[in-house]
Amino acid sequence: MSKVLLKLENLTMKFGGVTALNEVNLEIHEGEILALIGPNGAGKTTVFNVITGVYQATSGSVTFDGHNLAGRKRFQITGLGVARTFQNIRLFGDMTTLENVITATDVHKKSGLVGALFGTPRARREEKENRAKAHEILQFIGIDEYADRLAKNLPYGVQRRLEIARAMGTSPKLLLLDEPAAGFNPQEKVELAATIKKVRDAGYTVLLIEHDMSLIMGISDRVAVLDFGTKIADDSPAVVQNDPRVIEAYLGVPADAS
Amino acid sequence: MFTVFIDQFWQLTVSGIALGFIYVLIALGYTMVYGVLRMINFANSEIFMWGTFGAIVASRDLFGYNQTSEPAHGAKLALVLFVQLFASMAFAGLTAVTVEFVAYRRLRAKGTNRLATLISAIGMSMVLSEVMRLLTASRPVGSPRILEKVILVEVWGAQIRLDTLITIVAAGAIFIILERFVKLSRMGKAIRAVSMNEDAAKLMGINLNRVITTTFLVGGLATGAAGFFYVTVYEYTKFNIGFTMGLAAFTAAVIGGIGNIRGAFFGGVALGLAEVYASAILGTQWKSVTIFIVLVLVLLFKPSGLFGEAVTQTRA
Amino acid sequence: MKNFNLRDFGAGIWERSNRYQRIAIVLLVITLAALLPFAGASFLATPVAAYDAVLVYPVAIFVLMSLGLNIVVGKSGMLDLGYVAFFAIGAYTNGLLSMHTGLNTWEIMPIGIGAAMFAGVLLGIPTLRLRGDYLAIVTLGFGEIIRIVALNVSWTNGPNGISGIQMPPPILGKEFALDDQKLFFWVVLVMILLTIWMIRRLTVRRPGRAWEAIRQDEDAAELMGVPTLKYKIWSFTLGAAIGGAAGVLYAAKNLFISPEMFTLNVSILILACVVFGGIGNIWGVILGGAILGYLPDRIRFISDARLLVFGLVLVVVMNFRPDGLLPRKKREKALIKKGANA
Repeated sequence: MSKVLLKLENLTMKFGGVTALNEVNLEIHEGEILALIGPNGAGKTTVFNVITGVYQATSGSVTFDGHNLAGRKRFQITGLGVARTFQNIRLFGDMTTLENVITATDVHKKSGLVGALFGTPRARREEKENRAKAHEILQFIGIDEYADRLAKNLPYGVQRRLEIARAMGTSPKLLLLDEPAAGFNPQEKVELAATIKKVRDAGYTVLLIEHDMSLIMGISDRVAVLDFGTKIADDSPAVVQNDPRVIEAYLGVPADAS
Repeated sequence: MFTVFIDQFWQLTVSGIALGFIYVLIALGYTMVYGVLRMINFANSEIFMWGTFGAIVASRDLFGYNQTSEPAHGAKLALVLFVQLFASMAFAGLTAVTVEFVAYRRLRAKGTNRLATLISAIGMSMVLSEVMRLLTASRPVGSPRILEKVILVEVWGAQIRLDTLITIVAAGAIFIILERFVKLSRMGKAIRAVSMNEDAAKLMGINLNRVITTTFLVGGLATGAAGFFYVTVYEYTKFNIGFTMGLAAFTAAVIGGIGNIRGAFFGGVALGLAEVYASAILGTQWKSVTIFIVLVLVLLFKPSGLFGEAVTQTRA
Repeated sequence: MKNFNLRDFGAGIWERSNRYQRIAIVLLVITLAALLPFAGASFLATPVAAYDAVLVYPVAIFVLMSLGLNIVVGKSGMLDLGYVAFFAIGAYTNGLLSMHTGLNTWEIMPIGIGAAMFAGVLLGIPTLRLRGDYLAIVTLGFGEIIRIVALNVSWTNGPNGISGIQMPPPILGKEFALDDQKLFFWVVLVMILLTIWMIRRLTVRRPGRAWEAIRQDEDAAELMGVPTLKYKIWSFTLGAAIGGAAGVLYAAKNLFISPEMFTLNVSILILACVVFGGIGNIWGVILGGAILGYLPDRIRFISDARLLVFGLVLVVVMNFRPDGLLPRKKREKALIKKGANA
């Protein structure tokens, strides 16, 4: 089995009296697509928020690529190689598509303000490289034709794809996708599934939150199920699909099983 | 350095509480608007300043008092004070509603970002203070003495004067009335609903604009009442008194947990006392500096205040 | 006419020009600006104060400060209401050093800038973590605190202020004179050009993108790897540096400073210049600073009610034209090219 990239151990997150995550254990292996599913309010996005440093876990640990993530700043975690997208699109609307991605590539730049001011050779070279890299990513995701458009004026589907492209701009080892297919029609979902597979094949590891079962079953290597903050299943899609506890959790909230 | 503080401790405590009650009422203006808009009303300090002029306009222009007049007594005294209080509240209440209407409403309807609204409010604050500066030719305006400052009792060397007593009793009463209003009345419940969850409140059929205007009005009335007490105790006002008083009252609101009405009470009294004690030790010229340092320290170490209300923002 | 947009008009000319035409445009604009002090006999003449003095202060120094404040408010979206503090620190550095040491204006300049930057970092590290409106009120307080300190400590001469500040030494053999301020104007103009150069350099590269991202969505920016606090402190400190430089120049021009010159009103005036011209757009900000700096001296009525007018400007612009004279909005290159071809 390939190397464990991300490991959540006994992760618990409490907000006041509410337990959002309860002793969650999860391992993600390099090069796989792991889907995280569960009814609304099961704590899926909370998992993302704890991994990326938005919340500090109440107890338990998150280890990424050999680093304990506790107490690290959000941008440092991004720098280590974790990047995410947002369920409710949060692009930099007044920037162009290209600039959105370049902003993300800046995380690995060595040159900062002084370099920019005096136009040092390193700053110039890095600007050029990042621009090229951003175009490459946009081509890879298939939205390079929109490079000079303002993000807020893009069609919805392109905005969703740009969310992924921007996250890829940070050169992550692990990509966290929060409902990337939300609001998509079946045709768009098929295209997105192909894109996510392509992303994985290009060497990224993907942790995916999604509601659409057919999408998940089609592309995931493994599926983990959260219900009321507790992990109730973690296996191959075929097994999870027939797990009675999972079916019960979903039947309890049928609206989510769409 | 500390001798004044020790010798006059009880006297300072009495003045501190009276000043604190004035802060409580201004802090209500900040805290109520913050509750519904999640935004600081930058013009509240000027609403207070306009309130102080309300009291003076009433005694001077309505009752014809001037600097050489004899203080009033008996029923006349009660009448004049009552009309002054009413005028202060009316001036400030009207100003507050105007501020909402001119500086906030249009931007809210357009859904512009916070920065634009903050700038609009700070501009409005400048306009209010400048209009008054031009009207008064930049001069301080003395208030005719309506209330003879008789010493009622002396406890442990602290003199409790009539104006101090009236301030503490009446300001306390106004605070309780407003607190009950927000807690019990239909409108008060709507205000609290909006401050908890604006979208849900809208879905429940609450008229947002009316709630917000009422909030500004109630906050303005409280702030205006503070203006009346200020004039009664200090017997003067000026176009620029808003800044220091506003900064202090805002600090009081933050200490108590901004958005939290009871918190404003404790924050106001605590700051009134702290300010009077600190002035006795360091000298009055460092008053604003002390308040500012308290504000920064509270924001850094206990940003939710002593009675709780989140101020740092975590989304995602 | 309704579709006419000064910003797009200007940007259009610039984009259609080749390298040499662009150099020519820049030289032409600089020359015209440098010739401004000679236009005193025209309709531009100011009735009360000497025209060339007005050009230095308020006009040029307002423009300089507006550019500085715009880095903080316009580029990174942080409302700094205490900008006057850095102006005061620069001015007092000049006053005190010129009183106690033999240093001249140009030697004091880096020290004044450094002092303002130091104050910026000192105030920024604790307060820039705070959310927008708290930052606004804390900076507002800070601006007043600096004035109160200058008023109440003995080493600044308290309310009497500092007089007898040295004139700057001659440049290229040309002396500075009270009755002819052309040279001073050119000095400030050079500072303005340096500042524009700096801002343009920064905005097209990493710092500019970081500020822009922070302004639009701070949390998302940090999750995309932008060290937000660091770049906010940089923004704040650069703004402070320019404010400090303006303060040093102001003291050298006025030869006398006192605490009442550094009230909260100065912060609001500069904010009004930024907002009026076009928050976030450096050409707009320059225009705003120049117009709002100049008008009160040209039209007497405004001079009495200057602050009232500026307060109204803030309210009216925010409500009816939040982009100011020249909007910051970026144009979409691809679309415009397509439109031109069609």
